[in-house]
Amino acid sequence: MVFNSLNFFIFSAVFFPLYFALRGKARLWLCLIASYVFYGAWDWRFLGLIVTSTLIDYYLGLSLEDEQDQTRRKRLLQLSLFANLGFLAFFKYFNFFIESATAGIQSMGYDGSLSTLHIILPVGISFYTFQSMSYSIDVYRKQIPVERNLLRFATFISFFPQLVAGPIVRASDFLPQFAKDREFEWSRFQVGLGQILWGFFKKVAIADSIAPFVDQCFADPSKFGGLHLAIGVVFYSFQIYCDFSGYSDIAIGLARIMGFDFPKNFNKPYFSQDFSEFWQRWHISLSGWLRDYLYIPLGGSRGGKLFTWRNLMITMLLGGLWHGAAWVFVLWGFLHGSYQVLGKILSPYWRKLHDAVRTPKFIRVALNVAIVYFLTCFAWVYFRAGAPNIAMSDQIPIAHGVIGGIFSGEGWNFGAVINKFIVLKGVLLIGMMLFVEILDEKMPMWQMVDQRPAFRVVSFASLLWLIALFGVFSASAFIYFQF
Amino acid sequence: MKKWMWIPVVLLVTFLGDRLAAYLLTSAVEKSEFRYSRLYAGDGKADIVLLGNSRGLNFFQPYIEEATGKSTLNLSYNAMPADLGGALLRDYMDTYGAPEKLVVDVTFLDRDNEELIREFRPYAQYSERLDSLLKITDSSIYWGTKVAHLSRYGGEVAQRMFYYLSKSDEDWLLDRQISKQMAEDSKSLEPYRNNYTLDRIRAFGKVVNAYQAAGTDVRFVINPYYPAFQKSIMNLDSLALDVRRETGIPVLDYSKSVTGDQNFGDYQHLNKKGAEVYLARMLKDIGL
Repeated sequence: MVFNSLNFFIFSAVFFPLYFALRGKARLWLCLIASYVFYGAWDWRFLGLIVTSTLIDYYLGLSLEDEQDQTRRKRLLQLSLFANLGFLAFFKYFNFFIESATAGIQSMGYDGSLSTLHIILPVGISFYTFQSMSYSIDVYRKQIPVERNLLRFATFISFFPQLVAGPIVRASDFLPQFAKDREFEWSRFQVGLGQILWGFFKKVAIADSIAPFVDQCFADPSKFGGLHLAIGVVFYSFQIYCDFSGYSDIAIGLARIMGFDFPKNFNKPYFSQDFSEFWQRWHISLSGWLRDYLYIPLGGSRGGKLFTWRNLMITMLLGGLWHGAAWVFVLWGFLHGSYQVLGKILSPYWRKLHDAVRTPKFIRVALNVAIVYFLTCFAWVYFRAGAPNIAMSDQIPIAHGVIGGIFSGEGWNFGAVINKFIVLKGVLLIGMMLFVEILDEKMPMWQMVDQRPAFRVVSFASLLWLIALFGVFSASAFIYFQF
Repeated sequence: MKKWMWIPVVLLVTFLGDRLAAYLLTSAVEKSEFRYSRLYAGDGKADIVLLGNSRGLNFFQPYIEEATGKSTLNLSYNAMPADLGGALLRDYMDTYGAPEKLVVDVTFLDRDNEELIREFRPYAQYSERLDSLLKITDSSIYWGTKVAHLSRYGGEVAQRMFYYLSKSDEDWLLDRQISKQMAEDSKSLEPYRNNYTLDRIRAFGKVVNAYQAAGTDVRFVINPYYPAFQKSIMNLDSLALDVRRETGIPVLDYSKSVTGDQNFGDYQHLNKKGAEVYLARMLKDIGL
């Protein structure tokens, strides 16, 4: 079930009154059943997977808490990681490994071919697997107490607002919030509803409006001139941002109405001035997860420059692979890893250069933002080429077709751009969104929504008008569901 | 004030704003120079009516009007589906009667296109045919337009309608030359089929036969393709034969009539220069 569908509207109309009518265990049962209905609406067969994953981590957590022997505790943790990563490896990466091995064998001149399996990727598996793993690791590290209530634990793993596309909420942040029943609060409802409307605006009015233009560019780049393709890449950068952050906004808003506080998942990432900052603003829950459970255990920045760079590269490569089972995602991770390493090497010289020529601060900031945005877009080309409808063998050629088309110098006039109407609509909508984001820096929107009824009425009505006017109502899935 | 009072206020403001803005936009629909606005606002009468998909836009109107001295209305649109094209032609006939000539590029019979029918929702309020086509195609969009009138005006067709508020849409044509890369790639094209169906041809045949019965000279053509792409199309001859058999109207095949990269925007579309080369010949052939 997707948020932008009539089914979810009906689901919410039934769920929320019941949620606030019930208390204690009954409410938890409602949350769990509703979450399984929400997830099962895609494919009920995968409910078995999420239940299995839940039971494994629940019982291993109990064993970890009770076990005092460090070696045995380590084995229990390994078992949890093996089970979770095993599901992920089988459902998400099995065919990728087989196809890559086959290609490797054939490139060495052997006539080898290995059979792949017809495996359907369970929606959101990467999200709930990571959430579940973080619980086991935290219990192992004794950073959180074990959860002894299975109902509460199962609800934590399957909580429907963030089940299929995050944010990935840590057990330490989430489980304690189940401790007491949350009452309905007008303040939470007002802000939560505002976040939901803002998320819908980003998803159905922006991301889905510009998606056809992007799809066209990546279907056959040779058909289009440089400017058309460049607009396609810029649009993709906003499509994926609005799609994913829109989902996060809706998830956070739903949880807020229910009485739960989820951490921010996006914080105006395209205003970043370097790539370290970008990763503190983009998909914050994943980058925090990778930092705490991969980068720091690898040694982080504790062992000198080379060691830090190695750890950064490993983290970003695996972060790339987390997004999808294809080499283009690894390449995307590699690019982001390289950007961070190069940033660390070059930034002292860059600062010295600015100091020497006394660049005004706003120019310095604008230049930094522009460079980071340009390089981010370059990496997005590979990421977009990994879309599920593009065969693996076509992904790199398509990415290079887009990049080659942009830098060929051909078709760099607006007359050669096809579908100018989508371009104008996209620019208008993206402009509106960026304007609100800039405004939010000066006047925090959610505070105004909460405290000023007139602002609330005008902003909600405006969002509803914009959604009605520009929305695409085809119940298209969110991009990050595929991860 | 009660804490919940803002909810009915939001709903009321949203409703009133929707109706007011939609009212203003509806008057823009009627003032626009966009061809479908003219069709439904009573300003579309023409001697020659033209129809096709994006390839039908190669019927470059300024050239035709200058060469023949007759007025034109080109109902072609990118990826126009046959059922929508048929509905537009019937609406034309209901409003203005039979034109002198109807010229159709029959390669547009290759598709259904639910997306474009959704896009034509600004005009559904003027046409029972478009309204019922929208209802059959996508009932949620149909009911959406009834609840929120603003939702009629967010699509591409609506945007074009606004764009042509105070200027003619008749002189638009693909303004570029086929890229070197595309020309090079044409050496190894996969076989291509026009996905026409006999049912579609028959349904469209009923529309054009009604035009014939009312005295219109109906002409079917196949507009030019880029030569290498033309060779890759497997079933143009059978399309022409089937159209003739089902409708009784012969098809003039101009698919090979224009050559040279300078005349094409891409594989399926002439540019302005190519359109003039083509029209000079076609207009003579159909007695204009």
